[in-house]
Amino acid sequence: MTTATVATPMPAFDNGHAGLANQVRSEWTKLRSVRSTWICLVIVFVAGIGLSALVSNVEAGQWSHLGLADRASFDPVRFSQTGSFLSQFVVGVLGALIITSEYATGSIRTTLAVMSKRPTVLAAKLLVIGGVVAVVAEVTAFASFFVGQAVLLAHGAKVLPAGSSILTQVRSATIPYVSLSDGGALRAVFLSGIYLLLLSLLACATGFVLRHTAGAIAAFVGVILVLPLIVSVLPSSVAQSFEKYLPSNLGLAMTLVTTRKTDFAGVLFTPWTAVGLLLVYTVAAVVLAGWLLVHRDA
Amino acid sequence: MITADRLAKSYGSTRAVNDLTFAVRAGVVTGFLGPNGSGKSTTMRMVMGLDHPDSGTVTIGGKRFADLRWPLREVGALLEAKAIHPGRSAYNHLLALAQTNSIPRTRVDEVLGLVGLESVARRKAGKFSLGMSQRLGIASALLGDPGVLLFDEPINGLDPEGILWVRNLLKSLAAEGRTIFVSSHLMSEMALTATDLVVIGRGQLIADTTVADFISSNTVATVLVRTPGADRLADSLRSAGATVRGREDGALLVTGLDAAHIGDLALEAGVALHELSPVQASLEEVFMDLTSDMVDYHGQSPLEVGA
Repeated sequence: MTTATVATPMPAFDNGHAGLANQVRSEWTKLRSVRSTWICLVIVFVAGIGLSALVSNVEAGQWSHLGLADRASFDPVRFSQTGSFLSQFVVGVLGALIITSEYATGSIRTTLAVMSKRPTVLAAKLLVIGGVVAVVAEVTAFASFFVGQAVLLAHGAKVLPAGSSILTQVRSATIPYVSLSDGGALRAVFLSGIYLLLLSLLACATGFVLRHTAGAIAAFVGVILVLPLIVSVLPSSVAQSFEKYLPSNLGLAMTLVTTRKTDFAGVLFTPWTAVGLLLVYTVAAVVLAGWLLVHRDA
Repeated sequence: MITADRLAKSYGSTRAVNDLTFAVRAGVVTGFLGPNGSGKSTTMRMVMGLDHPDSGTVTIGGKRFADLRWPLREVGALLEAKAIHPGRSAYNHLLALAQTNSIPRTRVDEVLGLVGLESVARRKAGKFSLGMSQRLGIASALLGDPGVLLFDEPINGLDPEGILWVRNLLKSLAAEGRTIFVSSHLMSEMALTATDLVVIGRGQLIADTTVADFISSNTVATVLVRTPGADRLADSLRSAGATVRGREDGALLVTGLDAAHIGDLALEAGVALHELSPVQASLEEVFMDLTSDMVDYHGQSPLEVGA
């Protein structure tokens, strides 16, 4: 075996060039062929459904003991999406790892030595990680919603009349639950998945910038978890003008059923504004990642 | 064909490559020699578009890497054998590479067979020995059947059978008309494999020539002489214009006269000759001579350490 002569006929060589479709296929092969991907995705799904069932069950059991204020903030949609608190970190790790694992092993140099257009590599990774997280996060969000409502129903919950105010909920003798068609529930559940999608893209861009697994994950956790703590100890006048811009609070704003909630009024952005802002953060991080990828040595 | 024109690259204050100009032609194996840290890997990364030169250009078949439309089908490279995700199988590693350049799946099986890894293709690459990783790296370089191939220290970690295999593979790839550029710090290996040589030290070009010319132009013809009348012969050789050095074992090393002349002079002086042989300097010795002042990291012998 001393010859490399090709038996396999190669496709036409003079036409076209290695492009985004090629790179997306390659990135999908890479993503699906390591075990950590599947572990992360299973955690997102199981945590979503499991925490929805658990929290809905606990909250339903306490309804009869709740005071008026707690009844007012009783949000069946939010209980069902509790898992996203954990999942935001899982998709963050997944988004960062898709690129930082290549820097850790040095295989980024193999990747860039077979694709002469570097932005194509960034775009393909964002498309693949975004596509996978979007599907899993949306399936999880809706499944968690239905599981959560089913648990409340099992506790004898009744659906509130359409268009009912927060007062109706407070005065109601029975546990409330919501259907998807109920004021903003569909939007809240859908945006719960979109929040995870945007976070995975943000983490991936962070990974391209920092090129280091531990660094990227630390930065990501810092922004989601630690930054709110820092802001919370600022003088309240300063904190109030900052905190609604935090990614974690944008996530909260995206998943609130605003027609029935009053305690966050004025503090948070409206759901679609929150989506827009988080998208701006993500695009800014992606642009920085792309510029650095093109201009730095691999 | 690889052409480097006045390449220069610094990392911080360290000048890795300086004003490097050379050409690698198709059809022969070209060895890329230099001590550790001399800039070989940096140069190869610049050929592959991974590091950006501070100044100068390097092209593959006349095109910069960034302008290649199907990079894997025009240039294949083995740069770091262990640069593979440890949890991914050899097959999937190659498949992902093939997909970037529209290379059919059947070619993946083909190159796995070519390097002898088909039986471990589904095993995680993290469990591979260095030798197996080198073979996988060679497989990935061959995936696109490219006309230009770069190998950075390809025989590291290979057993003797593997070294022989790589040597033959490189030669046969070159015989097919490809451009083969192989770096090594092992001169003896290059003497057996390469036809052309690019030699660098501290990032600067020392020679861009053939192996044969490199040796002949950098060595002074030396003749080894053994004789019981060493002193007498040395005197007459010196008066004939030769330079004579005595070796510890009593033999003489003579430069400046060829063997025939030395034999004639011995006859005139009435001295018996026990041995008269021209000494062929090895590539190793020539290289050590040329680069001894260009090695960044000198080892010490145990005696020096104590002193």
